[in-house]
Amino acid sequence: MPAGMEASSIAAANGATPWQRARRFADENPAGIFLAIMALVGTALAATQGLDDFGQRTINGFVNGSSIALGAIGLTLVYGILRLTNFAHGDMLTAGAYIALLFNLTLELPFILSLLIAVAAMAALGVILELVMWRPMRKRKAGMLQLLLMTIGLAFVLRNVVQFFAGADPKSLDVNVTDSYFFLDLSIGRTQLYVLITAMLVLLAVATLLRVTSLGRQMRALADNFDLAETTGVDTGRVVIWTWVLAAGLAGLAGVLLGASGGSINPNFGFQLLLSLFAAVVLGGIGNAYGALAGGLVIGLAQEWSTLVIDSIWKEAVSFIVLIIVLLVRPQGIFGSSRSL
Amino acid sequence: MNERADSGNVNGKEPILAVAGVHKRFGGIHAVRGAHFSVAEGSITALIGPNGAGKTTLFNVITGFYPPDAGMISYQGRSIYGKAPHRIAQRGMIRTFQITKALRAMPVIDNMLLAGSRQPGEHLHSLLTQPRASRRREAEVRERALELLASFDLDKKLDDYAGTLSGGQRKLLELARALMAEPRMVLLDEPMAGINPTLGRRLLEHMQKLREEDGVTFLFVEHDMDVVMNQSDEVIVMANGETLIQDKPEVVRADPRVIDAYLGGGGVAEKAEASPPAESEEHA
Amino acid sequence: MSAVADTLLVAISTDFLTQWSFWIVVGIFAGIYGVLALGLQLNVGYTGVLNFGQAGFMAIGAYSAVILVVDVGLSYAAALPLSMLITVGAGLLVGLPALRLRSDYLAIATIAFSEVVRITAKNARELTGGNQGTLDIELENNRFFVDPWTDASTWIGDNLLDPIGLSGQDFINMPLLLVIWLTLGALAIGLTLLVRSPWGRVLRAIREDEDAARALGKNAFSYKMQSLGISAGIAAIAGWFLVFQAESVNQQSFEPLVTFLAYAVLVLGGLASFGGVLAGTIIFWFLLEGLREIDLGLDGNQIASLRFIVAGLVLILLMAFRPQGVFGKKEEMVLGE
Repeated sequence: MPAGMEASSIAAANGATPWQRARRFADENPAGIFLAIMALVGTALAATQGLDDFGQRTINGFVNGSSIALGAIGLTLVYGILRLTNFAHGDMLTAGAYIALLFNLTLELPFILSLLIAVAAMAALGVILELVMWRPMRKRKAGMLQLLLMTIGLAFVLRNVVQFFAGADPKSLDVNVTDSYFFLDLSIGRTQLYVLITAMLVLLAVATLLRVTSLGRQMRALADNFDLAETTGVDTGRVVIWTWVLAAGLAGLAGVLLGASGGSINPNFGFQLLLSLFAAVVLGGIGNAYGALAGGLVIGLAQEWSTLVIDSIWKEAVSFIVLIIVLLVRPQGIFGSSRSL
Repeated sequence: MNERADSGNVNGKEPILAVAGVHKRFGGIHAVRGAHFSVAEGSITALIGPNGAGKTTLFNVITGFYPPDAGMISYQGRSIYGKAPHRIAQRGMIRTFQITKALRAMPVIDNMLLAGSRQPGEHLHSLLTQPRASRRREAEVRERALELLASFDLDKKLDDYAGTLSGGQRKLLELARALMAEPRMVLLDEPMAGINPTLGRRLLEHMQKLREEDGVTFLFVEHDMDVVMNQSDEVIVMANGETLIQDKPEVVRADPRVIDAYLGGGGVAEKAEASPPAESEEHA
Repeated sequence: MSAVADTLLVAISTDFLTQWSFWIVVGIFAGIYGVLALGLQLNVGYTGVLNFGQAGFMAIGAYSAVILVVDVGLSYAAALPLSMLITVGAGLLVGLPALRLRSDYLAIATIAFSEVVRITAKNARELTGGNQGTLDIELENNRFFVDPWTDASTWIGDNLLDPIGLSGQDFINMPLLLVIWLTLGALAIGLTLLVRSPWGRVLRAIREDEDAARALGKNAFSYKMQSLGISAGIAAIAGWFLVFQAESVNQQSFEPLVTFLAYAVLVLGGLASFGGVLAGTIIFWFLLEGLREIDLGLDGNQIASLRFIVAGLVLILLMAFRPQGVFGKKEEMVLGE
């Protein structure tokens, strides 16, 4: 064989160059590296912007981030199990929030009850759509673009049905907006605190469900390899239904919680969140529920932290920029493997 | 190490393709571990091995569809290690695919015209500045396409969408298309699979004719042992991601390691432990 | 029974169908979206590239043209080609990283790009005047950018339309309609010739199977970049037309909604021909504008919502029951992955 080729190829085979070893370390420990980066950024911000400001934004970041995480989990599960990129997911948040609004304001039911009704209604809607739209399309072996455009059409319909009945003006849920709790030099509104606690508890419950219950294991098996799981006797129809119950229900919950903590809602707010939801999903690794959880929190934090250094009018661009960076640097996200591309 | 592959010179000529120490990993799976062989120009060489041995992976690495992890790949004396697939194809190494990639949504004739080389109309700038040259070349390419299609008995299907052809016809189309590209070397991935013996024989006749008239080199992955033993000048055996032996068909057939590999199921996915390949003897 | 029929007849009064002003409005919006969708047809229908950033390219075309004329002081002859060049450049810049991604990621990435453009336009007051900034106001009060167009429009009206009786308030936007549709026709013809060429053949191969194209020596990435670049340039033209129509430039006109509506137009006509795009856009906008005219006793907000509900239903039903659209061919439906 031609001389001179051997040495470099042997070196390459052993992965001996420092650059390659660093690359492999980064590839095999993405979560650790990412956590380190977050800690670094956080410390830098706290040091330069003042602990109080930083702490306040971090709290806000968790409040929003936990709700975004709730929305993101549904989005990633539907993608992972059904390979459906659901552009209507943001509007499912909107629908949930407005259903709660309907019961809370028009029918004057207590907030908690309205929330529960909204979640149940959205779960039901998710199941109906699965039976009426997605299942028939899957039977027909519909292609990706077909399904994508259907979700876009569905988004139009959801958003505008809401607007048709509720109008385009911002509306508010009947929640406490004045009380706050104080500790150290930080404050958190009472509603925000309840939202945060609720979201965190639900996230914990979902994570447990996915890990511990047989349904959760089946969902993860389907997300990993749909056809293989089918052959091992998983009742895919049933699991898919429960996936929609979870995804749509969580979306509704996220919508109500964001509506409550954010002060007011308008028919577009869910769609405006869609890219943040995608950013969370892609960041965490598409199809990975724990990744969506982490991704949502990170996006929430990133958006709030950004206001420390740049004008808050750019806040909405932060999640898009995170998304773009992830797609450029590590498209499979933190927890995804390059094989999943 | 496989001594035969090291020299690889036939009649003092450089091998058209030389592969040494090629590795390819996918996450935890080491699909190709140190593949080592050479192909003489103008020869018909078969690459055989049990399922999962890494043959198609090796094809993909050689033709640039997978980036290699290590090793050396040289074609016509120049390295093609890590080069992009379209560049390798432009240098005259054309491949077919295990699952045929005849473009179903395009008519048969378009499939063929696509493979035509040196067509200025395929590039925006020359399309707009040299429309007549483009039209002329298109006519030339079309004439050659019609000839090739006729020799494969596909000329009646000229304007039909390739998707309406039978599986065997699509396979022939893919081969005809590969030949349109005026290749110096053709890599065929299981050309005999799924086509009836008559068509298969015609395919082999084409290969022999091209080899004799134009000196085109053929390397094919095959499971049909008849074809392998009777048609090829040399046989390379792969198992477990490694190349075991490269030699004349009769020699390979009798080699105990080859029999072992097939009986023992030498697929990377199947074997629990890989046994190190024995040193081969010098061949006269 | 007859009372119901009477009410229905009153509700669906079809007077508007005979009014020039209705058709001119339909024609203008159909035209602008038709231009956008022609670019999308090249990307999606002929190359298999899911470009969801058309609104962003439209915005870059619109804003760059306006800035070049109003702030830099160039004439149309210099500003418009330069604006197109900038937009094509943006297309290539976006394509460089984005075209390596798989389809659904590409869609998301291009929407993200489109939103970044819009939010920048919204907030970068120094550059674009922001939401209610200098640029918008200049356009509305001083009309620097649209002045040459207004002159040309008046000329067309006086010399071409008046003599054939198309004069008066009703026809004030007719020149714009004519220019848009002449452009549309020229673009459709040009693009059709382009895709029938050997270059177009490579695109179609890439659409179906990139690896097959690569195995035959075609640089698939380069072709996808060219497709995206051309589409971006076409979107710039749509951007200019939008500025002429609105006589202002506002970031709200470049939301992802615009891209989605362009896709609706695209799939209605069918993912197969540029002529189909022209038909699809007229049908779609006739439907959307027609809904505005029907007196169903609804208020403005509800009519607006209803229009988009119908748009959404069109998308859903099309994709469910006739994904190849009105003019598409089933054999060429390769985007079922």
